[in-house]
Amino acid sequence: MSRTVDKLVMMANQIGKFFVPQRDGDPVAAIADHLQKFWDPRMRAGIIAHLAAGGAGLDGPVREAVGRLKKPSA
Amino acid sequence: MSLVQEIDYGTPASKSTQTVTLTIDGNPVTVSAGTSIMRAAMDAGIQVPKLCATDSVDAFGSCRLCLVEIAGRAGTPASCTTPVAAGMVVSTQTERLKQVRKGVMELYISDHPLDCLTCAANGDCELQDMAGAVGLRDVRYGYEGENHLKLEKDESNPYFTFDASKCIVCSRCVRACEEVQGTFALTIQGRGFDSKVSAGAFGDDFLSSECVSCGACVQACPTATLSEKSLIEIGQPEHSVVTTCAYCGVGCSFKAEMRGEELVRMVPYKEGKANHGHSCVKGRFAWGYANHKERILKPMIRESIEQPWREVSWQVAIDRVASEFKRLQGKHGRLAIGGITSSRCTNEETYLVQKLVRGGFGNNNVDTCARVCHSPTGYGLKTTFGTSAGTQDFDSVDQSDVIMVIGANPTDAHPVFASRMKKRLRAGAKLIVIDPRRTDIVRMPHIEADYHLPLRPGTNAAILNALAHTIVTEGLVDEAFVREFCDRDAFEHWASFVSEPQNSPETVGLVAGVSPAAIRGAARLYATGGNGAIYYGLGVTEHSQGTTAVMALANLAMATGNLGKRGVGVNPLRGQNNVQGACDMGSFPHELTGYRHISDDATRTMFEKLWGRPLDAEPGLRIPNMFDAAIDGTFKGLYVQGEDILQSDPNTEHVVRALAAMECVVVQDLFLNETANYAHVFLPGSTFLEKDGTFTNAERRINRVRKVMTPKNGMADWEITLAIAKAMGFEMPYSHPSEIMDEIAKLTPTFAGVSYELLDKEGSVQWPCNEKAPLGTPIMHIGGFARGKGNFMITEYVPTDERTGPRFPLLLTTGRILSQYNVGAQTRRTDNVVWHQEDVLEIHPHDAEQRGIRDGDWVKLDSRAGGTALHARITDRVAPGVVYTTFHHPDTQANVVTTEYSDWATNCPEYKVTAVQVSPSNGPSEWQKEYAEQADHSRRIATKVAAE
Amino acid sequence: MTTRIFVPRDAAARAVGADRVAAALESEAKRLGLSIQLVRTGSRGLFWLEPMIEVETPGGRIAFGPVTAKDVPGLFTGGLPLSAAHPLCVGRPEDIPFLKRQTRITFARCGIVDPLSLADYRAHGGYRGLERAKSLGAAGTVEEVVKSGLRGRGGAGFPTGIKWKTVADTTADQKYIVCNADEGDSGTYADRMIMEGDPFLLIEGMTIAGFAVGATKGYVYIRSEYPDAIRVMARAIMLAEAEGLLGAEVKFDIEIRVGAGAYVCGEETSLLESLEGKRGQVRAKPPLPAHKGLFGKPTVINNLISLATVPAILADGAKHYADLGMGRSRGTMPIQLAGNVKHGGLFEAAFGLTLGEIVDDIGGGTASGRPVRAVQVGGPLGAYFPRALFDTPFDYEAFTARDGLVGHGGVVVFDDTVDMAKQARFALEFCAIESCGKCTPCRIGSVRGTETMDKIIRGERTAANLALITDLCQTLKFGSLCALGGFTPYPVMSAINHFPEDFNRPRLSAAAE
Repeated sequence: MSRTVDKLVMMANQIGKFFVPQRDGDPVAAIADHLQKFWDPRMRAGIIAHLAAGGAGLDGPVREAVGRLKKPSA
Repeated sequence: MSLVQEIDYGTPASKSTQTVTLTIDGNPVTVSAGTSIMRAAMDAGIQVPKLCATDSVDAFGSCRLCLVEIAGRAGTPASCTTPVAAGMVVSTQTERLKQVRKGVMELYISDHPLDCLTCAANGDCELQDMAGAVGLRDVRYGYEGENHLKLEKDESNPYFTFDASKCIVCSRCVRACEEVQGTFALTIQGRGFDSKVSAGAFGDDFLSSECVSCGACVQACPTATLSEKSLIEIGQPEHSVVTTCAYCGVGCSFKAEMRGEELVRMVPYKEGKANHGHSCVKGRFAWGYANHKERILKPMIRESIEQPWREVSWQVAIDRVASEFKRLQGKHGRLAIGGITSSRCTNEETYLVQKLVRGGFGNNNVDTCARVCHSPTGYGLKTTFGTSAGTQDFDSVDQSDVIMVIGANPTDAHPVFASRMKKRLRAGAKLIVIDPRRTDIVRMPHIEADYHLPLRPGTNAAILNALAHTIVTEGLVDEAFVREFCDRDAFEHWASFVSEPQNSPETVGLVAGVSPAAIRGAARLYATGGNGAIYYGLGVTEHSQGTTAVMALANLAMATGNLGKRGVGVNPLRGQNNVQGACDMGSFPHELTGYRHISDDATRTMFEKLWGRPLDAEPGLRIPNMFDAAIDGTFKGLYVQGEDILQSDPNTEHVVRALAAMECVVVQDLFLNETANYAHVFLPGSTFLEKDGTFTNAERRINRVRKVMTPKNGMADWEITLAIAKAMGFEMPYSHPSEIMDEIAKLTPTFAGVSYELLDKEGSVQWPCNEKAPLGTPIMHIGGFARGKGNFMITEYVPTDERTGPRFPLLLTTGRILSQYNVGAQTRRTDNVVWHQEDVLEIHPHDAEQRGIRDGDWVKLDSRAGGTALHARITDRVAPGVVYTTFHHPDTQANVVTTEYSDWATNCPEYKVTAVQVSPSNGPSEWQKEYAEQADHSRRIATKVAAE
Repeated sequence: MTTRIFVPRDAAARAVGADRVAAALESEAKRLGLSIQLVRTGSRGLFWLEPMIEVETPGGRIAFGPVTAKDVPGLFTGGLPLSAAHPLCVGRPEDIPFLKRQTRITFARCGIVDPLSLADYRAHGGYRGLERAKSLGAAGTVEEVVKSGLRGRGGAGFPTGIKWKTVADTTADQKYIVCNADEGDSGTYADRMIMEGDPFLLIEGMTIAGFAVGATKGYVYIRSEYPDAIRVMARAIMLAEAEGLLGAEVKFDIEIRVGAGAYVCGEETSLLESLEGKRGQVRAKPPLPAHKGLFGKPTVINNLISLATVPAILADGAKHYADLGMGRSRGTMPIQLAGNVKHGGLFEAAFGLTLGEIVDDIGGGTASGRPVRAVQVGGPLGAYFPRALFDTPFDYEAFTARDGLVGHGGVVVFDDTVDMAKQARFALEFCAIESCGKCTPCRIGSVRGTETMDKIIRGERTAANLALITDLCQTLKFGSLCALGGFTPYPVMSAINHFPEDFNRPRLSAAAE
């Protein structure tokens, strides 16, 4: 796993740690929405590819959220 | 053009809403109750002679020139200290008054040098004016009596002199130092005839005293006693232009006083709504960098960073940028390049850079230096309140009863606003400081924090949750406010969350290293002490939980009803002059102007239509992401305007690798900054003195920047961006920055009413400025939140991954110092270096003792990211286990040690927490030596080399 | 049986050997096996008789003075009580004309009681004033002080009751009573005598003031030159606290603050600045201390004598006090005779005596025996009166009408050897030395005035320089921020106007002098 992917996993898990404790709405949707809105396509592509390759290190809800991401067009 | 003359009303304006009518010299005058007779007379156009009175400080009544007679009252009261009363009949000119005034002037002049013709204040001296006004023709005492004419001149301050022989002991300087600046550095020493103004204790001069060189004393001085050295050297200015300071986010208005193209001095502008005539050492004096010999005035290019620079024409340089960027996009794809806007530059310039990236580069790879400072503010406040900005104007602090300062060091970083805050604190407002370090405001003359919570770096969210816990569990919530203005479910969820035991002060106290009683006390004070105002800075945002902490602050304010009125609010203190503006202008990769997401079709379409370009709906790279992508090889070209990312971004070695991996780095700056060492094209920038535009300060105030001199580099920064865009085939037809603002107004609902015409008329306005608020919005969220209902967020404390351990047992936190600004590019090139020549490491005596470190020793500072060396300063300002430094000097490069950990929401770097080890050292580290060598090598300029 | 012998502990008596006399009395009595009880009292104020000791006899007290330690064995020759036949015996003190002619209200107890005995204080009518105040209520007490016609004894003569009423009518969370005991006028000592001789009187007066205006805290600002007074006051406050006469129970306490030697701190606003720990520098008025005084709170700041007169006014009723005096000057004034005077001392009398009566009859003329040439009334800033004006009655308005002032009641006598030009110069020099330096007329004018007066004394362009001094005095009078500069013209101009011959004399060269 490259350093970049490690970093993406860490960042995604960090996002998860904020949204999981929220008591309004669906945390998985919130995580996915955040990734969609703030991550550039190559970052999203990177994390999607990482999930496809097993998604090592991704926390449960984050994993689920990455699974819901649309594959970026670029 | 002429000199902007401001009226001195003699005494401050009364705040009373009641009015009083009186008669002065036969003229009926109606003024606010509590106004002095002097000011009332001025309102009626009657100038009462005065020397010790000036409207920036309270009346003092010492010069005895402003005496008047009042019908039915005995004696000759001073008009400055006597308030008006209804029906009062005042005479300002009677035979008796004439005699007394002449008598007083005769005394003054009997102890004053008679060198008017060669005096620096000649033509701008109140003593001279008054001698004329009272008709003094003779000094019958002679000049052989006791006098002060031989007193020595104190020239220790680099910017101004104190010539005691010219002093009339009016105390205006002393009072300005106390009342306006709040430093209390000056005093009157001795009594009677021996009274003299003195800086600090006996034997101190201005430089060695507590003086912070804010210039308030110089401003207040009616004679040449306190004079700017530049004025003494150049002479009296003949015209002036009102503009806005380009240093911190306070956004002070200044009069740039000129002789022709030469700047004589910068004088704080009384009408400036952010600073009301006050200034700090940076804005007032530290503008010499504009003419510094290291300033680059010609464009330069090179093929590789190994080569020396070659000076070229603007055309060649611009063409090189365009052709390289096009080449890189052709080879690596549309997303392979991007740009960085600067919080130092104007709104208009920033807007153009993001427009160039979005419209010209065809992607959204644009970011701004706010990424690394206040991006969590934008996200946090937008989520909770609905607007990515602070809630108050600066004046609001005058009505605060409890002030909470968290993760901010206003007396160093926002000195002019700090002076306002200090004034309010001296008047009795309570103070809570939450900071790992004992910052100056914790204890200053006549100020002492009621609570200082010296928390362990990285535990903001925990502490704020504990404050909330106290407020909720002790029944201190403003139920009525929450019921009316906030989302009920969100509140209930939040209240039950903060009430959980892990958020109790007793539990959090252990984690944060703060006494639970102090946490509870602070919470009670904030919740019940009247108007509670929160002021915060990068000590809140620059953490892995920066955004969480901003939300936690918003939660506290909502729960206690401290929003939507004067004296309250959640107020980010912005580091740079235009952080707010850069964010407003669509500098973030995911949003267009006015904080609208790029994926919003309606917004995007509007921009596409006006710009005539298709826009990408996908968010672009943020600065740290750009570095990662560069190292990964997918990001190849970067246009950086006015920001030194190499020195200011964390983990310098990582940034170096990223820059080195790019094929075309374009730096636009005043100086060959550290980033330029890795650049291929250098475009010389213009200073704020050389261009028109606007800055938006921390209170959302849009201030005009006005050109006072021709750009020395030949082009204003906005014109450079236009040229690049044009070379890339994207025409932007503007002939003046006002047209850029017109476009911003057209495209941005919160700016709809903004125009240069309006700014010229009003001085400044605070956005939102539109049909609903044609003159702007000083206080946000009155009668309801911008987003509808206030949104409480759960702010669970998640410790950072940056942990101390046996190898790195100490926590490093970073900050700023008064005399230096940011990476120091400007201030290091001024005489401000006399106060701060280098960055030092503050370390607690206990930690120093353990390591055998003495005060002033060289020490090595190592983290997991890297190491540097600097001098140690032993102080108990920091707690044991915590060390502190500033990041102003590239020789030290504090960011060599900081890590890439960042805020979960915005990737704002975690500058404030780095696990480090400190050990004795012999001098600069190997890395520092290599870096210095590389920098020297990289800064070579071929033409100069040849010429030499 | 033990015989009580009274020896003053007043600084004026101690200065001339009262302590040595007391020690001698004790050792001599011991040697003779006589049983005496020494009581250290305040002074009666007959300074030419100090140390004046009194011995208790069945027929009342008998006084001896001035007594030295050497005289003591002789005093005991007839055993106890000491013999009235002794040449130093001056008889019953009350019969001494200097005392007999007085109307002692404020000083009724001074010199009689043990200043640190609350029992003594009570036995001589102490705390009757406070009791009556309580029965009248706060507003009634203020009213009583208004009706008494009492005016500020510090010198300004502002009606005390009106000051109190202003403070009483101002709402605030905290109010203060400040006693101005920074008695700096030359030739004055009335404040000191009360502090050393009857300190509970001041405590009672301040307590009444606190009750009347709603203040819970009092300060006594005592000049540092009064170490005895500071000690006695401090002890008296402790005793009063111990008896619950000060403190939480009565919701009033008192603290002593000691000055640092600045005359100008006797000016009320500088005193307040000094009390706050700042430079003793004059504040501009308004705001009045009654509205914004100590620490910005409504403050009664009164001269010590004003406060010490209040208990008697309350105890015996406003009318009793107001019936004394003349014109708008009601009640009594402690006149303090000093300088070149035969009978120096404190003389409390109703307003209305003429200056001539005071100096010639009561004071007995000069101590040197030479003719009286000039009298300075009201301290160093008071006017010099020539004999021609000795018909001036002691009354605020009468003195003002003659460009003089009553001030704090100090009367300093000069004989015909005085050089009035030097006195005028001294007034300006005094102003220069004591100026706080805030306002320009006083700060620079006092120095220029001294220099100009030197020129006059040297005989340089006398007419022009006298005109300049006259102009300067106008500037000082109307331009100064406080009375220091504002009143300096009184001694200067009175000297010039009443003794012009001293300003036009051909001068000897300095070397010849």
